[in-house]
Amino acid sequence: MQDFKNIGKRAGKVALFLAILFVIFELMAERMEIALIKNDNLVQSRNKSLFRIQREPQDSIDVIVLGDSLSYASISPMELWEEHGITGYVCGQSGQKIQETYHMLETAFETQSPKLVILETNTLFRGRTGLEGIKETIEAWGNYYIPIFRGHDIWKSFLIDKKYPEESYKGFSFRCDVQPYKKGNYMLETEQKEEMPDIVVKYMESIQKLCYKKGAELLLVGTPSPVNCNYRRHNSISAYAESNSLDYLDMNLRLDEIGIDWETDSLDKGDHLNLSGAEKVTKYLGDYLEEHYELPDHRGENSYRGWEKEAREYEQKAQLHLEQMAAK
Amino acid sequence: MAYHTSIYLFVFLPVVLLVYQLTPKKLRWMTLLLSGYVFFWMISGKLVLYLIGTTLFTHYIGVWMSWMKLQCETAVSGLTKEESSIVKKRYKQKEKWILIGGILGLLLALAYLKYYNFFAKNINAIIGAWGGSYALQTKELLLPIGISFYTLQAIGYMADVYWGKLKVEQHPGKLALFLGFFPQIMEGPISMYSQTADALWQGAPITGENLSKGSVRILWGLFKKMIIADRLYVFVQAIFEHYEMYHGVMIAAAAVAYTVQLYMEFSGCMDIIIGSGRMFGITLPENFRQPFASRSAAEFWRRWHITLGVWFKTYVFYPVSVSGLVKRWNKFGRKHLGKYLTKLGVSALSLFPVWICNGLWHGARWSYIFYGMYYFVILLGGIAIEPVRNKVLDACHINENAWYFRLIQILKTWMIIFTGELFFRANGLRAGISMFFSMFRNFELQRLWDGTMLTFGLDQADYLVVVVGCVVVAIVGMMKERNLLGEAGLQKLCLPMRWAIYYGLILAVVILGAYGIGYQQVDMIYAGF
Repeated sequence: MQDFKNIGKRAGKVALFLAILFVIFELMAERMEIALIKNDNLVQSRNKSLFRIQREPQDSIDVIVLGDSLSYASISPMELWEEHGITGYVCGQSGQKIQETYHMLETAFETQSPKLVILETNTLFRGRTGLEGIKETIEAWGNYYIPIFRGHDIWKSFLIDKKYPEESYKGFSFRCDVQPYKKGNYMLETEQKEEMPDIVVKYMESIQKLCYKKGAELLLVGTPSPVNCNYRRHNSISAYAESNSLDYLDMNLRLDEIGIDWETDSLDKGDHLNLSGAEKVTKYLGDYLEEHYELPDHRGENSYRGWEKEAREYEQKAQLHLEQMAAK
Repeated sequence: MAYHTSIYLFVFLPVVLLVYQLTPKKLRWMTLLLSGYVFFWMISGKLVLYLIGTTLFTHYIGVWMSWMKLQCETAVSGLTKEESSIVKKRYKQKEKWILIGGILGLLLALAYLKYYNFFAKNINAIIGAWGGSYALQTKELLLPIGISFYTLQAIGYMADVYWGKLKVEQHPGKLALFLGFFPQIMEGPISMYSQTADALWQGAPITGENLSKGSVRILWGLFKKMIIADRLYVFVQAIFEHYEMYHGVMIAAAAVAYTVQLYMEFSGCMDIIIGSGRMFGITLPENFRQPFASRSAAEFWRRWHITLGVWFKTYVFYPVSVSGLVKRWNKFGRKHLGKYLTKLGVSALSLFPVWICNGLWHGARWSYIFYGMYYFVILLGGIAIEPVRNKVLDACHINENAWYFRLIQILKTWMIIFTGELFFRANGLRAGISMFFSMFRNFELQRLWDGTMLTFGLDQADYLVVVVGCVVVAIVGMMKERNLLGEAGLQKLCLPMRWAIYYGLILAVVILGAYGIGYQQVDMIYAGF
């Protein structure tokens, strides 16, 4: 009897200890999140979209773009807005892993009800196997459910006024370098496939379920990138999309239609697109979306005045950058 | 799966604890053994066979030596004292050859995997220098994790059985568990069979007290590793990898920073390991005891990587000290050289193998051998000048325990340590020598505050955290030194105070830890040895 009493007492102590710890974490996380959403200069580049998307007016975004650096280097939401009145937001991160993609989408769904989720397909080949895969899953899970982990460095901003300013237009930034890609055709037809890692397949299932639950469609998009794309990957994604009844747009097979010129549109020798390439890709994507999806045109609506103002500013700067790039 | 990673702390360790507790007491050793092999396999894959092979081989040698002892007992029964002495000697000799065979067997495996390429390259260089064309092929050899640690434990066990300090272990499972306890596999501490084997075998239930004390120890380790060591890594890496670009105070700062990084990292990992062991009710031997409070290099090695030092002292230093060679030297010296030179010679003969082994144990590099020889020379030098030093102190009426003298001694020891670690970390002996001399060129002390330090990826806040972290570790160290702190000390505090310390530690690690965006995950340094 005495033993049970002791066990009970100890268990109570542990529970109290953990409860207090939980409250401390929650309070700190809440304050931290508010500060980071309010001022994204306190957030390091990779996590900016995570907080910026939460700052957007509720249910104002119709298209969420996810993926690694190819997503934010290739798709410019302001172009989509100007041409089609579609409100999009790029929630891509450099080297975004599929676990992060899933949790980013969860975060976006907290305040937005997008009708379409676009996933840049390079992320589908980033999954690691074995221990590293488990580790990445734990870390992504921890970052999402214990937000203090992902913003723990905020104390530096308060201590030494450290800031990470970065110009962004709904998750897109101007990338204006030009380093041509010169190695020719990279989409050489083959029957072979590069298998998607198991962890990616598993998380894709969760992403599909989440989209279904939230009433959003899912579109897989491969943006042009000779360094990252090839026909084996294309075959694998095509097969996956077909078996899961998903739409798949591989722009790497439509370079002529899009008008990609690797002399002028490559940022870094075929790894990413620069502003010029991104404008072409976004224009093509906009037309594709208009043709295949029923996305509302919000231009002229009072509640979207801010978008018009931001688009004017974007357009002016983009023109200037494009002229400078052409003059190089 | 390093000990500070989320997968170890939040998945592997809790799962093993749970399975261990759910296993019947008699079979718990199996849970621990299996966990050790799974842990090993997760890092080194099929190389786990080396560990299993070492275990079986060590067990066989132990049983063989024990059988020889029994044979001896049977053979001497009924013999006269003189006859039995001769027989015993003969059997002891046989046992000695078994032991030598056992040690050589283990060392050959270690030497082949760890040192083959080093020797091949050096032999090729010598052959090349003599104009020869023959060359040994270098090989891509995979090194099983922790081989340097479990090999020493296995040799220690065999030697203890030979000396009769231990009764042979008949159950191979118990020996296997001693060599393959998962918290110890990667970095030690190098324990002796008598220290841990019984506790591991016992299968004691997990208690709340052990869990809580183990957790605190793990947290303390994470504090040192994640807040201090992993931050300093950025600066250390920048200087040591591009040492040609730096000189003067920057090199000196890198040597100090690396020493601090190594200590925080290695002792931090030890805290995690010892904390993990504690959770299972196992008391693993300590590896560090405030090494920066040492007043001499000799004292430093009694406080730094203690279990390695103890191992070398027990299994190299003592056997060499009583070997025939040293005895003969003693005899010769007393006759011809006098007390002072004889003592110096004995010290040299006994210390040399210890320090050459110490250097080589760390890895197949000339810089490690130099590191071992560096301490050999310093320790022998200390013994050589001791009489003169004592006379000078007497003549000047200097009290050795006066605070200023102690401070001078500690600072002198720091210089020795920092210099040693400079060579230890440098990318090769040539780089080490170059860095050492460039330290005295264009010292430029102002570089410490003119903004240069901010160009390595660390900002003022990072340096502040490192300094404050070091102060906290130093205060805790001083309290431990004065026996004011420790597990018992912590338990004496009232509950709110104790919990405040726990919360403080958790929050410090979570908030100030060098993890996530902008930081690099740093592998454990000693896991590479």
